[in-house]
Parts: sequence; structure tokens; C-alpha cells
Amino acid sequence: MTPLLEFREVTKEYHGVPAVQDVSLSITEGEVHALLGENGAGKSTLTKMAAGVVPITRGKILLAGEELSFSSPADALRKGIAMVFQETSLVPSLTVAQNLYLGDEKAFNRLRPLYIAAQQFLQSLNFPVDPTANVASLGAAQRQMVEIARAVRKNARIIIFDEPTATLTPEEKQHFFELIERLKERGCSVIFISHALEEALAISDRITILRDGKLVITDETGKFDRDSIISAMVGRDLSGELYGGEDGKRRVRPYGKRVLSVQNVSMGRMVRNTSFAAYAGQVTGIFGLIGSGRTETAKIVSGVIKRNFFHGGVTRLGSKSVRYRTPAPSVRDGIAYVTEDRKVEGIFETMSVAESIEIGKLASPSDKSVILRGSEARDLAEHWTKSLNIRAISSDVPVIELSGGNQQKVVIAKALVQDPQLIIFDEPTRGVDVGAIAEIHAVINRLADQGLAVVMISSYLPEILNMSDRILVARKGRIVEEFSGDEATEENIMYAAVH
Amino acid sequence: MRPIGLNLLRSRKMGTQEMIVFLIFVALFAGFSVFLPGFLNANNIALLLQAVSVLGILSVAMGVIVIGGAIDLSIVALMAMSVAWTLQLINGGMPVPAALAIGLASVALVGLINGFLVAYVEIPPLFSTLATAGCIYGFGRFVLISQDTVYLPTNLGVIEELGKGRVFGVPMPVIVFAVIAAVVGLLLKYTKFGRFTYAAGDNRAAARITGVPVRPLIVAQFVLSAFIAFIAGLVQATAINSMNTRITDSLLVYEIILVVVLGGIGLSGGKGGIRNVVVGTLLIGTFLNGMTIMDIQFTTQNAIKGLILLTAIVIDQIVNPRDEQTSQQGDI
Repeated sequence: MTPLLEFREVTKEYHGVPAVQDVSLSITEGEVHALLGENGAGKSTLTKMAAGVVPITRGKILLAGEELSFSSPADALRKGIAMVFQETSLVPSLTVAQNLYLGDEKAFNRLRPLYIAAQQFLQSLNFPVDPTANVASLGAAQRQMVEIARAVRKNARIIIFDEPTATLTPEEKQHFFELIERLKERGCSVIFISHALEEALAISDRITILRDGKLVITDETGKFDRDSIISAMVGRDLSGELYGGEDGKRRVRPYGKRVLSVQNVSMGRMVRNTSFAAYAGQVTGIFGLIGSGRTETAKIVSGVIKRNFFHGGVTRLGSKSVRYRTPAPSVRDGIAYVTEDRKVEGIFETMSVAESIEIGKLASPSDKSVILRGSEARDLAEHWTKSLNIRAISSDVPVIELSGGNQQKVVIAKALVQDPQLIIFDEPTRGVDVGAIAEIHAVINRLADQGLAVVMISSYLPEILNMSDRILVARKGRIVEEFSGDEATEENIMYAAVH
Repeated sequence: MRPIGLNLLRSRKMGTQEMIVFLIFVALFAGFSVFLPGFLNANNIALLLQAVSVLGILSVAMGVIVIGGAIDLSIVALMAMSVAWTLQLINGGMPVPAALAIGLASVALVGLINGFLVAYVEIPPLFSTLATAGCIYGFGRFVLISQDTVYLPTNLGVIEELGKGRVFGVPMPVIVFAVIAAVVGLLLKYTKFGRFTYAAGDNRAAARITGVPVRPLIVAQFVLSAFIAFIAGLVQATAINSMNTRITDSLLVYEIILVVVLGGIGLSGGKGGIRNVVVGTLLIGTFLNGMTIMDIQFTTQNAIKGLILLTAIVIDQIVNPRDEQTSQQGDI
């Protein structure tokens, strides 16, 4: 029998750098297929090619034996391939029913029949969602249901989920799994990308593991267990280094001087009355699900966004009470923020490695120069490329042409060159290749050993567990729990984060 | 996939586009010299250089703003009204230094207002400077200046040399253009102000997080460009013995944008440099002069200019896309 969807030696390159390399994979009808792999392994890229979001560089994708060539997600959807994104693609200001029928409205679009049809349709799927509710008012799980309903309504034969459970509570997850079962019964194939191995083991029929853009293994789920998946994901040599935190052998650094203390800080609906502290010579890890206000809290501390004017709380740097309206004065006080989104807030597209690092130096408090010397930028670049092991042909290469990991190292160098006393890493290894993850972790450890106060925000549990001396857990805009690095376990952190 | 040719154009430092524009200039100049009687004579070249210089000085000012990621549509209004007012004050009996000081103070104020609106109130510069252009012209004509055209006073002294003087046979406007281009070029390349301007124009959020004082920087850019516009106005007025405030209604501001974009400073910010302005100025100046000699009707000229500007902006959008999503290292 011909598989429903087949990848044949598919390759995708960005600027000549392969993100997916010669992957051949087939999905049969009605199966649940889990795609696993580290950050940057190529899972998203692979599925995005099937959903028409990104074009293919080489190779073929066949749908029921027929070669696919489409230029847009809408085109893919028409052929029966739907992708449900992490950041949902619903229009928040419209109602559920309007979102369901978006793009298929009649010229004279009456709402009442729309609501009735939507109600019947949602009921047939057994989704408890009110079709007249605004999407903005829905929780993550319900939004996802709407997305799925939309895909089903368009007769999608293959539904691709990108990290569907990351934002869900355990109960919602249970609903989601049932939903996948129901999709399967209807004959839909499901591909889902996940970081949660247990989920993949529980609900999938087959598992494919990618590493560095290449397919490592595809097999029946029953033939895998947690350990074999991990070793396939990271390669044997790295697994100990990256995920060795479980046996509790790691040492916890002692408290230094209190560098940062945040008391009752609030900002809009995202940060609610949160309090915590960070100490010199330690890595303070902050874990939380999306929407827990971690990034916003970090941005308040570093002045990227302002806290509330009234009842905004107090931020103390050392013993000084500070309230930053812009990042420039916080940089002057020795706070560096390494962003989670380097494309948007991290790198300068037109600049070379040397120029980027130089900007950091020029903006730092110690720099008094007015007129610049070219040699200084070169020396800086040489020092930092060596110290952080930035792999670029030369320091005159544009940052945009480097791999994700090396871009991230440039962003880190740009912050470190300012000689901060407090450095906040927001998802330091997001979109970073496997080899570079270990190197970035080593840099973070080195900084803490040198006596800096390091705050590391991450939604990746092994990273938090393995790196942090103290672990703070954020939920709904505040820090709700604190663990010492040696007593925390995945279970109790997760428990604090979701309940 | 982008066409290979465009990838070539996207290569580092815009060297290729600069080269192409320069070659077109050379070809155009040679073509006009051969086929247009009256193009290559001393009189016309002097006229061309003078016209080109004012355009060039204004384009340097615009270049700084565009590299910083904004645009200034009020630059011509500012030039015309500030200089016209200054000349009128002198005509009314005010001492020259005092009038110049008032003129400079007024452009500085407008620069501050423009910068404040863009940086602190965060209005897109396209709208805010369009509005301030209207305000400057309206306020100036209503309150400050009684006639459309203000003639040059006779007691200007050295200032008059700005437009009329020659040094070793080189017209003074050309020298002013060269000096301003050199100074601003060095400023952009070798000072903190310059590096920050590129950084903020390239990625404002990243520059801000790195600790670059983005807002004061934008204000400084607008003040700097306002000063340069004032100098351009003095050169213009002294060269042709008057300042016609109606120039505000002309297509001059689009010619300036044309020079900047065509020269290779992408409207998306952070790209290009003063060399691009010089190359763009040479090409557009020659082109405009050629059209005048060919006696092409004013309206036809405008249509041609508009068409070229449109083409240049479309090409700029393709060569320097604002949304880099598709051409970046994707989230893998």
C-alpha cells in the first residue's frame, strides 16, 4: 500500500547551511507519528516543508503517490495537509465560529447560521468550545481545539502539530490525547513534534528521531524506551554531558552576595506581584511554561519594558533601588539581558561579527571613546571569538551567515563585553545546534564560577535541572516555588509550574 | 530562491550596487556629452554642479536619517522657510550674525520636534515629518514671511561666497558639498554616534537592549540633518540670489529620496554610507540636467522622475527586504 505522505531525500538549506538533509520518511494512513529531536534538529523545518510554509531545496514530497508542489500553506491545506502551530494562527478578535469559517465566508455573511453550523460541527468532534466566544478569551487548550477543528473542517488528511502540549495543563493534555485518538479513528494521520518523550511513547504508533537535520531512526514505538530515544537524539557521546543531571551528582555553588532582589513587581496582566532574588556566583534558573511571565519579569529587571507605575513593586540592584524605563541605564549599572529571540532583538543583520561585538563595547559604561579605531574592534572580535569559540571564517563575516549556535554566541559576546555584574540568559539554547549547546552551557557555568550573578530562563527541564544552583518556578506571572539545585526533580518542578 | 543576480547585489557593503550606479552615471555623462549640444560647456557644467551640490547636501542629511531607520519629508520645507526667514530678518535690518543665529536656532528646534515625535511619541516618521512639513510651511508663510520669494540682502559679505565663490576655479557649492559629505562620512564611520546610527537603523530593538540610547540618538540625527538643511538653503539662496518658499511644493524631496535609494542606502535602514549618496547625487544631477537641456516639459519630467523613484523603491524592497523572515536562518 502506498503511504499517505512520503518524503524522498528531502533537503532544505538556509544560505547553503542544511537544516534538513536527505530525509526519507513515509507516513501511513491513520497513524500517529512522533517526530523527536533536539532543538535545531530539523523537526519544524521538515514538517513546514510538507505544509507548504517553507520551500524545499532538493528532493520530493509525495501525497498518496502524487508529487506535491505548492507555494503556500493555504495551497497545502486545500490538498489536505494542515499544520497547527505553537503560536496559534487564529484571529484573536474574532469569535470561534468566525475563525472556523475564515476564508470560506459567503458574500452575504450572516452570523446566526454560522454559529449554528459551528456549534453542530464542534459537537460532532466532541469539543467543549462555545462558538460565539472570542478567541482572545479562550485558554491555550481551547484555542488548540479550534485550530484542530478548523483543520478537520477543511478535510485535512494529515494534521501536523508543532509542540502541541507545551502550553497545556495535565488535564488539558489528557483531552488532547483523546482528541488525537478520535482523529485517528476518522482516518487522519497525525504528525506531532514534541520535546516530551513520555507523551511520544504513550500516544504515537511510530517514532522518528532527527539529529542535526538527518534522520537517525524510524521505528515502531514499542521498540523504544526513554533511554534509547535520548541516546539517539543527542548521540552517545553527548548524552552524559547534557542530560546527566538525574543521578544528582552535581555540585551546587554556595550563595554569594545578593545582587538582585525583586519585590512585589507587577506589570499589566503578565507579571503579578512577583518576588525573587539572585546571588553572585550562582546560576539561578527560572522555569515556567509559556505565559508564566518569566521573560517579562527579566525584561522589567533589565529595563526593556517598564513595570506598573502604581503598585509596581521594588527592584533592588545590590542595595540600590532601581526603576529603569529604558535598557541603557540598566546596562550602565551592569545588567545584561541576552534575549530569547535573537532574530528580533539580538543580532544586527548588516553587521559583521566584529562590528556587532563592538556595538556592545561602545554601549557599555566603561567605554569613553568618541572616535573609534578599527584595530580595537578587531582585537575585541579576536578575543571573544576565541573565548566563546565562535566558528566563523573571519570576524568580518556577517552575523546573519553564521549558524544559530554561533549567532547566539555573538549575542552573548555582545553582552559579556559590557562586563556585567548580573547577566540574564533568556532561553540561551533555543534554536542552537547540539554541539553549541554544551559550549554555551560551559560559558554560563564559567561566568557563575567567576562570580557573576547569572539568571537563566529556560522552558527545557533538563537544562534547568542540570545548570541551576537554585531553581525558581514561575506560574501565571509570579515566582511560586524555589528549589535547591540538588533537591529538585523534574516531577516537583513540573508540579509547581502547572498547578 | 532569490535570483542569482539579486544575491550578487545583496553582497557585502553594497559595493556592487554602488558600482552599477556609478557606471550608469559615467555612461549617461558620456552620452549626454556626445549627443546633447550644450551639455559639455563650462556654463552648463557650472550650473549642473551648483544644482547637484544643493541636492547632494540635502541628500547627505537625508542619508543620515535613512541609515538611522527613519525618513524626513520636512527637510525641504525646513530649508526653504528657515533660510527665507533669516534673509527677511536681515532685509528688515537685523545684523547678519544675529539673524543667522536665529535661523540656526529655529532649525534646531524643528529638528528637536521631529526627533521627539519619531523617537518618544513613536509616530512613524513618514507621517510625522509630512505633518511637520505642512506646519513649517504654513506657519512660516502665515506668521514669519510676507512674500513667496525673499531676495538676497546686499550686506551678507562672506556668506554670499557660499553660493557664488570659487576656490581654484571650483565653485564654492561643490566645496561645501564635499566638506559636508566628508565630515558626515567620517562621523558615520569613525564615531560612536555613527556606529550607533547603523546599529539602531539595522535593528532598533537589539540596539536598545544592548544599551544604545536609541531615542536621544534619533533626536540627534534629526537635529544634525536640520543643520545641514540650513546650510544647503544658504548655498541655494546665495547662488541664485533669492529663496523661493514655493520650492516646498516641488518634487525636490522626492529627488532627495531618489538619490538616497538609488545610491544604495536601503530604506530599511542600517545600510550604505555617504559614498552611496555621492554616487546617487552624480547620477540624478546629471540626469535632471540632461532632461532640462533636452527641453522636456516640466510635467513630463515629473512623470519620469516619479517613475524612476517608484522603480528604485521597488528594487530596493527586493534587494533590501524589510521582512527578512524568508532569507534568514530559519528556526530549524
